[in-house]
Formats: sequence, C-alpha cells, structure tokens
Amino acid sequence: MAKILGYGLTRVERHYDKGVRELAAEATEKALEHSGIENVDFIVVASSLSYLQEPQLDIAGYLASFLGLRGARSFAVEAGESSGAAALQVAKSLIDSGHASTVLVVGIDKLTDYPSQETYRHLQLLYDTYSDAFYNIGHAGIAGILMRLYMKAYGVSREILSYWPSMMHSHGSSNPYAMLRFRVDPSKVHSSAPLAEPVTLMDAYPLGDGAAAIVMSSSEGPRAGDPAAELVRIESSTGFPSPALSDDPLKIDSLAASMSRLGISPRDLGNVDVMEIHDSFTITGLLILETLGLADRGKAPESVAEGRFTVGGDGPLVNPSGGLKSRGHPIGATDVYKAAEIVMQLDGSFPGVKAQDARLGLLVSVNGFGSSSYVGLFKSV
Amino acid sequence: MSAPIVWRFKESKQRLVGGRCDSCGRAFYPLTYGCPYCGARSVKEFVLPREGKIVSYSIVYSTTDAARFETPIVLALVDLGVARVIAEITDIDPSEVSEDMKVEAVLRKVREEGESGVIVYALKFRPLLVDGD
Repeated sequence: MAKILGYGLTRVERHYDKGVRELAAEATEKALEHSGIENVDFIVVASSLSYLQEPQLDIAGYLASFLGLRGARSFAVEAGESSGAAALQVAKSLIDSGHASTVLVVGIDKLTDYPSQETYRHLQLLYDTYSDAFYNIGHAGIAGILMRLYMKAYGVSREILSYWPSMMHSHGSSNPYAMLRFRVDPSKVHSSAPLAEPVTLMDAYPLGDGAAAIVMSSSEGPRAGDPAAELVRIESSTGFPSPALSDDPLKIDSLAASMSRLGISPRDLGNVDVMEIHDSFTITGLLILETLGLADRGKAPESVAEGRFTVGGDGPLVNPSGGLKSRGHPIGATDVYKAAEIVMQLDGSFPGVKAQDARLGLLVSVNGFGSSSYVGLFKSV
Repeated sequence: MSAPIVWRFKESKQRLVGGRCDSCGRAFYPLTYGCPYCGARSVKEFVLPREGKIVSYSIVYSTTDAARFETPIVLALVDLGVARVIAEITDIDPSEVSEDMKVEAVLRKVREEGESGVIVYALKFRPLLVDGD
C-alpha cells in the first residue's frame, strides 16, 4: 500500500529570487517535517522545463545532496505536463514492488526565468515537434483550434465557456498556494487579451514557478494519526500525438483509456468526492469533464455555469485549488500539487474551498491534448 | 534547430511526405514507424495531397520570438481528404480566414535560427489560387 505521510507546497509565483533547488528544498522540508521521516530510500524528481530554464542535467542527483539526502537513490521523470503523475506512478511501483519503503516525490519547474516569448518556445515542446509544433505555435495555438471546433460542433457560445475560469478563480481566491487569488467575472474572460483566438489570456494558465513534494511510504508513519491518505491506484495511457490524427479530437482518447485501466466507470465517478483535473486551458478542462463522462458531449459549459462542480453542486467538487488556471501550472510540478491538494481534502486540512467529508479523490493529468494521460485514485485512511 | 535536424525534415516539411499503413489502409501525417491507428509496422511513405480545406483555426498572438514580426499567425486544422494536418496558414489577412476555406500547400519561411543559424522552410497553406471544382 502506498501511503502518503507528508506533503509540502510552495505558493506558485514568479519566484525570481529562488532557483530550482531552493524551491524544491522549501517543499521538501515541509513534506519531510509533516511526515516525521528524516531519510528516504528514493527521490523521484518530476520536472519538465527546468533544464531549459535553469540548465542542469542529473537534476535529481544534485538535488539529493542539496536537500541533505546525499546517498538516497535518485532520478528524474519527464512526461511533459504529466511529469508529476508519472513520478507518482513510478514512486508507487517502487513501494508496491518492495524496492523502497519510503519515496520522496518532488515536482519542480520554473517558467519565469526568461521573457514569456522564450517560455512559449519551451512550452511549445509539449506538443509534437515532428508535426504541429514545427510551426511557431506557442503554448496556446492548438487550444485555439480545439476551442473553435468545440463551439462550432455543439453550437456553443464563447460566453458560456467563460464560466470555467470564473469558477476556478472563485475556488482559488481562498487557496494560499494559488498564484492568482482574485475573482473574475465571466464577462471579463472573453473580453481579455487574445492569446490564440478564441482563447484569451483568462482562458489560460498563468506562467509561474513552483515546487511541491510528497512523502510516500509502505507503512504507517512515526506519528499518531498518520498516514494522511493512500494512493490506491494510478493508471495511464499514451494517445495520439496531435488532434489532427484523431477522428474525434473533442474526446481525449488516452484519458478514456486511462480511466478504463483504472476500472472506474462514469457511474462510479459519482462516489468520488473531489477531483483535481488538468485545465491548462478552458477547453482542456471541459474536454476532460466530457471524456470522463461527468457531462454529456457539448454540455460541460452548461453544467459548469449551473454550478454542478462547485460547493453545493450535485457533481464531484472539481479543482477546489483553483486548478491550473488560478493555482497555477509549474509544468512538471503541477501533478504533485494536485496530489498534495487531494490528500489535504481527504485529511480535512486543505486551507481553501473544502469538500465535505471527502473519502475519495481523483487526480487527472494530460500532456498537451492527450499524448499521455494519467489518473490516480486516492482514499482517506 | 540545427542544420542536420532541418535536413532530416526535408521530405516531411517540403514535400508533405506522410505515411500510409499497408495493414489498415489509413494515411496520416507525419510518417511514423508503426501505424498510429492499428499499430502495424507496415507503414510506407505516402505523399499527401497538397489541397484541402480548413476545419478549424486559431489566430495566435502568443507566438515565439521567431514569429515576432509576423504575429499574429494563423494556425489551422486542415482536412486533406485522406488525412488531416495542423499547419500554418499564410498569404492572407488573419481576419479573412474562415472555416471551409479551400487552401493549398506552399513553401514558406518558418523561422531564422539566429544570425548565423539555418533558415527553416516548410510547407504552409494559402487560400487556393485556382479552384478546379
């Protein structure tokens, strides 16, 4: 059993004064202190862009010593925006196979060490450089194509799509770890600056730096009341490199495949109390809700506008953290944030919008528009 | 992007060479080793049609430095009949792009890799000049 004994987060921000190692140390120190554990068998680092922003290879090896954990086995996992979930999957395998009793998972990325146009070039690498990303598409180009396709396919207005970012900002406004802690009226979303029409600035995640850490263990922690939660299962699938290859680009095939491997049907999702999903853009969040079966095709914007996925709604509580939109999206670190936030919901300690008596939580991660997807099920203990 | 990398992309980016699977018969872009649909490792090079129509598009402002002087650029999902591609639309004012617009492939500059680097060319799509239909 993979128990989560501790977690630590830094607020997602433009951390000009802190590097990769300082941010990772801040998150790790909190996670280790919370777990009551001083040494770990393995360190699994989740990082995607950091070697482009603050260049360093064997980042995990150098981090180990910096963190005071010299001697621990250590390596980095890279799976684009899903790096954190991939690291969690590896960490759980190490625990389940008996290779490790304790694993520290550290997610870390920086997006603000260069002007945004340079960061857009880094983020463009999340998409297929053999096809779509051969052009100068930046980070939002494909989201723009899919959002327009969605609006046309289902006859949906641009206005109703704006309820998603508005809900995210409403959730994130009380999350102390969120980068953007202000509320946004839906009308301000579609009238903000265009990034990749019809995608606006307020449909997209902000560029921010952050680190998150969790301590995973095969046994109970040294402290009373531990562990905080358990990672029951984590599954994944690869998918089409580009929406151009899919016959149904408004469904994320790799996510549907991951869910069926996890063994959770849309009906079972009714038992999930809280979810942290990958809303890199408004359209990504909505496509995920529909692919999971939480809303009928073309109806997710309406369900969001009606408040189904917020406090008091009849669906699971989705992204109480504020999601990628408001909490922020330090690429490789994001899924570790999601894991920590879900654990905090399950042990009742989340310092923002709370799910009531949450027992089950689901982490959903997608790279790009589905080159890889991951889903992880957590339960309270 | 270095000269060897650009050189390796010449068939793909300048002749629109994709793949077609001998097993399931589907065509696709770019060329792969195994078929993205059925997984069969019997993919042959296949030159895709150079004419198609726009399925969806985006006017992109958040471009990289390489497109600083062309921003905004138009990126589109183009249906070539046997396969779809995502590519840049060129030779048109972005405000005039529309869904269902007929387009054709044309060789254009994508970026210059700094002052001493290579100049990268690739096929983009422009509005169809002569409509044979």
